[in-house]
This record gives sequence, C-alpha cells and structure tokens, in this order.
Amino acid sequence: MCRIIFVREKKEIQVPEGTTVLEAEIRAGLAPDAPCGGHGICGKCLVRILSQKDGDRADAPGSLVRACRTEVRSDLWVDTCTDPEQEHVILTEGFTRPVPCQPDLMVHLVRLTKPEPGEKRSDWERLLLALQAAGGPEPSWVRPDPVLASSLYERRQEAAEWWVIHTKTQILDLRREPGKQYLAAFDIGTTTVAGYLLDAGDGSQTAVVSRMNPQAQYGADVIARANYALTNGTEPLSRCIRELIRQMLEQLAAEAGVRTEEIFQVSVAGNTCMHHLFLGISPASLVHAPYTPALRQSLVLSAAEYGLGIHPRGQLRVLPDIAGYVGADTCGCLLALRPDQRPEVTLLLDIGTNGEMVLGNRDRLIACSTAAGPAFEGARIECGMRGAAGAVDHVSFENGIWHYTTVGGQPAAGLCGSGLIDLVACLLRAGLIDESGTLASGQEDPRVFMLAPPGESAREAGVYLTQKDIREVQLAKAAIAAGISLLMEELGISEDEVACVWLAGAFGNYMDPASAAEIGMLPKSLAARVQPVGNAAGQGAKIALLNREEWEQADALAEQVGFLELATLPTFQDCFVDELGF
Amino acid sequence: MSKIEEVAALVEKGKAKLVGQAVQEALDEGCDPMDILNDGMIKTMSVVGDKFKNGEIFVPEMLVAARAMKKGVEVLKPHLASGSTGALGKVLIATVSGDLHDIGKNLVAMMIESAGFEVVDLGVDVSTEKVIEAYRANPDTRIICLSALLTTTMPAMKETVTALNESDFRGSIKVMVGGAPITQEFADEIGADGYSDDAASAAALARKLVAA
Repeated sequence: MCRIIFVREKKEIQVPEGTTVLEAEIRAGLAPDAPCGGHGICGKCLVRILSQKDGDRADAPGSLVRACRTEVRSDLWVDTCTDPEQEHVILTEGFTRPVPCQPDLMVHLVRLTKPEPGEKRSDWERLLLALQAAGGPEPSWVRPDPVLASSLYERRQEAAEWWVIHTKTQILDLRREPGKQYLAAFDIGTTTVAGYLLDAGDGSQTAVVSRMNPQAQYGADVIARANYALTNGTEPLSRCIRELIRQMLEQLAAEAGVRTEEIFQVSVAGNTCMHHLFLGISPASLVHAPYTPALRQSLVLSAAEYGLGIHPRGQLRVLPDIAGYVGADTCGCLLALRPDQRPEVTLLLDIGTNGEMVLGNRDRLIACSTAAGPAFEGARIECGMRGAAGAVDHVSFENGIWHYTTVGGQPAAGLCGSGLIDLVACLLRAGLIDESGTLASGQEDPRVFMLAPPGESAREAGVYLTQKDIREVQLAKAAIAAGISLLMEELGISEDEVACVWLAGAFGNYMDPASAAEIGMLPKSLAARVQPVGNAAGQGAKIALLNREEWEQADALAEQVGFLELATLPTFQDCFVDELGF
Repeated sequence: MSKIEEVAALVEKGKAKLVGQAVQEALDEGCDPMDILNDGMIKTMSVVGDKFKNGEIFVPEMLVAARAMKKGVEVLKPHLASGSTGALGKVLIATVSGDLHDIGKNLVAMMIESAGFEVVDLGVDVSTEKVIEAYRANPDTRIICLSALLTTTMPAMKETVTALNESDFRGSIKVMVGGAPITQEFADEIGADGYSDDAASAAALARKLVAA
C-alpha cells in the first residue's frame, strides 16, 4: 500500500501500488474532472507530483502529469491544482404550463371499525372500503401491504380515526394528524442536476437546489461514462448519483424547513444514459448499434431501495425514455409543453452534447438526436468554457465597435456557448469570416481573432477565437441544422409551417436566437419564432408529480413520438455537408 | 484557366453543384477522362489532404471537397475504362460492429480512393464475420481498414483485428485502424499494422503499407 497526500485538500488515502492517481482522487472523494474518462486523451486531469520517497521515476518532483496515466509506485504528495468548488451557473427556471394540483398522492380521513361477529373481511379490506367511502380508490386497485396490515389491530385500539396517505394503488402511511406532504422533482443532466421541492397540498415550489453531476469524475460525456460502466461496472456511477440525489433531498428539505420523511414522492427525468446509470441498468445496449435503451417505460419504484432517504414507503417515479438517444429528459420537455395537444406545428430543441429535437403537432410528432458535439459546452474550443464566472456570454459588433459581457461581470476567462455563437455571428457580419468559414481577422495572426487581449482578460493568453474553433462550430451547427431539415422533410412541411421553436436547456436559454440563425444553426425565418423555455425537462418532472393524469399520459406520449435515426438515413451526410457553410 | 484547372478549383472549394457541369464541359472540349480524374480531382484531393495535415484546413473543408469530388466522379465514371483506377490494389473499409458512425470512414475511403486504390466500402456496424466474408469474396484485397467512433466500440475493433490476426490470410493483408477514440498505442496493443490520425494521413499510410 502507498500513501497519497493531497496537499491542497489536506486529505490522505492509502491505495494499492499500481493504482492511478486519478483513481486515488476518486477514492478520496475529490470528484476530479476527467472529461475523457481516464483514457489519457484530454489532458484535463493534470496534477503536480510534489515529492516522493522513491526517486527512480521518470517524473521529476514538481512536474505536471496526467493523473489517469500516472501509477502510484510509492508514497506521493500531490497537488491537484484544482480550486475548490468553482461556481457554475445552473439553469433551474423554466417555462411552466399551469396544471391543476392533483398529485397521485392523496390524504383521506377514515374510521377503523371493529369487525362484526362472523365477518369474513380482513382488517385490510375494511380499511380499503372505508378509504373508498372517504373518496379513495377502488379497493381492488390497491396493492396489499403486509407490514401496514399487521399494524391495523393496534392502531384500531389506539384511535378510531386515521389519516391515510395514499396513491391510486398504494397506501403509504396512516397517521393521527394529516401533516404535510412534499414532492421532489429532479432533472439529472450529464453536467448538472436540478432539484425542486413542491408542496403536495397546493403545488407551490418551496425550494430549488442545483449541483454539478459528480459522475464527471468518470468522464464528461455519456459515452465516456458508459464506457467506464462497461469496464468497471455500473455500480460506482449509480452510487454517486444516488448519493447526490439523497444529499440534494436533504438540502431541499432543510431549505424549506421540512423533514425528509415528509417527502413522499421523487420524480426523475434524465437522458437515457443518466436514466440507466441512476437505475443501475447497464448502458451496454445504449452505446452499441442500433443504440436502444434496455428499459423504456415509466417506473414506480420504492425510493428506499435507491437509498434516497425520504419517507420509508416513499415512491421513486421515473419518466419514460423515448428512444436510444431521446431520453426521459425529452419526455419531460414534452410534458412541460405538450405539443401533442396543439394544432400548430412546433419544434422543440434541446441542445447539449447531443441535440435532441421533436417536431410536429397533435397529428404526428417525430424526434431525432444529432451528435452536436460538445463545442457549445466549451469543449474542443481553445478558449472554451462552461457558463461559469468570467465566461463571455454575449458579444456584439455595432458601428465598428466590439463589445462583450461576461457571467458575473468578471474579467473574461473564456467563451461559453452563447458567447461563442454571438462571436461567430458578429465575425460573419463584420465580413471577417467568409461563407466557407475562413477567418481573416485582420489582426496580427489573421487566423485568430482576439476578443479580450491578455491585459483585460483573466486568461494569460487572452480570450480569442481560432480558425479551428470556427470549424468546430460549423460541425456542431451543421448537425443541428441537418437534424431540423430532415425532420421537416420527414413530416413534409416547410419552415413557414413551424409556428414556434422552443429552446430548452441552458444553452438554448442564454443564446441569442438571431445569432443562431445568422450562423445557420436554425433556419433564418425561425429566429423570430424562438421561445426559450428554460429547464423544460425539470418542469416536466414537476408536472409528472403534480398531476396524476399527466403522469399517466407520459407513457402514451413517449410511445406516440416517432423516432428518426439519422445515422442510417442515406441523406444525412449530404444534408450535413450542405449545412456546413455559412 | 483550362477546364481541368477549373474542375480542380471547384473541387478544392467544395462547389459540388458546379463540379458536375465543369467535368461535362471538360469532356465536351475533348479532355482525356483520365486527365480530368488525375489532374482535376485526385491531385486536388492530395493538395487538400496536405493542407489538412499542415493545419491550414479542417474537417468541414475536407468534407465539402470530398463531396464535390464524388459529384465529379459520378459524371466522369461512364467515360472511364474499367480497371483504369485503383492501380495500387483493393482496400476493404468498414465501421466496426456496434457503431453506426460513418462520416469519418467515408472521408478516409475517399482519400484512399484518390490515392490510387480501389475501395470496397462494407458500411457501418460490420461484424467480424462479415469482414472475413468480404475478404473471401475479394481475395485480392491488400488492406483492411476499420473505423470506430465510440470508446464503447473499441472492444469490437479489437475482436475483429484479433480474428484477422488469427486468420489464414493475415500474411497477405495489412490492417489499418482509426477513429476519434483510437490511438497508436491501442493500434499496437490489438496488433494492427497501422494507425492514422486523420483521413489524409490514412491515404499516405495505405501507400506506405502496400509499398513495404
């Protein structure tokens, strides 16, 4: 065994010889950032080895090394070079479609009566009949519960009147006082997780929390994480996300001033990979052609079995997936927006590493997923970053003057997605990028456009855009534009017939639709019809809890949406290449 | 500018819609179809490949140029004598089992074809059995190229390469691998003969492997 001392975090851990430094960081609970999943490709897991007992290693003390490629051979002092908890901007707000507060969680007062002599019916059956008389469900729908049944005799001795907390099919608790009941909805994103606490009585939101997804230590994107799961088992990934949800539930309860036992239902929406990993399902079928989920329909499970720490009989409700790369998060968006109830055609766009989209109306809806790549999340862009403090989020060019704003008004530290597309759009308008995407910035290096020179930037070399960055943007925007165009072709409609474009997710919320249209990510005529809908997946997860009819319709909705697999569509590549230019 | 030079310029700029017509005009002027192919297109693609390797251009330009060349070849094909291309031999190319991604593979196929090979594209999600079957149907194959874009399909690549390494025909072929998650290290580990980072170097590597 070797001792690893993380000097910055003041943590020490013992690991077997041969363990990688990255693995040691994960075991020490440091949640390191490892975008490529420890494959030695991305170079983002750099740490500094400060000193070691054994001197015959290639890496001199003080050298920067890739944590994932560095095996522990002796006691090590390591500087992770990571500043504690960088503040990220996480989108939790979203468009809310008003639904009546009628959760599948009801409270009724019943009388527990003594059986008549010669009566055949059990205590349980008499409870259900009393519940039905009080307005509860048809007794045959309710699942028998031996544990609760065994308490009925004693409860009857204690008091005649009991408040029954129940769903349509399950009794969750019997109480002397009705008390308060809460519901918690989660949107588990690849990068961020948002949680909402709702009062089951009136549907009001009592707390919101958001966190970074700790699975990032196993890879930035779904493929890297799936690969980790296939190599090392699903368990580490499942455990860390469930633990996060448990902590977030505690935090939600604390912020609302309630006890976690008062939370009776938790709903979860996430992309198919997050869905599978949370449930502990192997993602193998998701990441091998033809990319199908292992399990798709909605689920009602015991929250206790997933270690969520809410009411002991509390429920975990999981929204259904639609297809391989169109997950429960998209289903959540659909629940929040219900395009299936509208006569006019709408387009829903959720842009992350994958761009999921759904086009149609009440007659027909079809979805597809395009590999937009992580460019809009800052990856593969030289000065790219996520939407954290200092990220350039908007750029304008008017009357020959460049102007930009940053998150939190901090000195520019990099470009996030919305700033990136603004910048490309402005460079096009300024005539510094031609229609093929070639940059002639007119600056010292014509293939680089310096936006924030070193002097005014938090980044040593300044914040700038390179020719290569523009090519990455072209690939990403072309994938989205090709997806939109092929969906329209499939439905046989033109862009004039699309009444509204809903942009879901953080990037869609912060980006300027005019810039998106200018760079050709969206058809030009649609820019004026864009409506940002914020974290629509989270809103859908809330609606699934707040209204039982909506929950019951989720499966049918997921089933109703057709799926267009772009990868096998012969016209995809042509269409994609068509969209590459500006 | 001669018609052939015009074809070359249009291919390089990726003007797919105009290339076909320019090729037709060159034919009408009595240009030799082989000259149009070699000087108008293949040379251009090798220029495009070199620029890519030097970091002067990137994947999007490669894709548009490749498509423009494809449009030009479609017009030219009926005028080319069979067997007049592919002098360097036959190459089988496939995306491995479990992977449906083919844009990168198609680009490699195009570059290798431009380098003077005859390319048989087996498509995507191709199993080990299908690769071997395809070799049996094309016993004059000199190189088998395999592509994987997902980290999760790298094991499938390994499986196919292992099967090829154990086959009775291993001595008469070279195996090349590539794709976003693939590294030289991985290629060596699974026993492939070659790895390249991009489509342009793939063409150069293919030439080198058959010359060896």
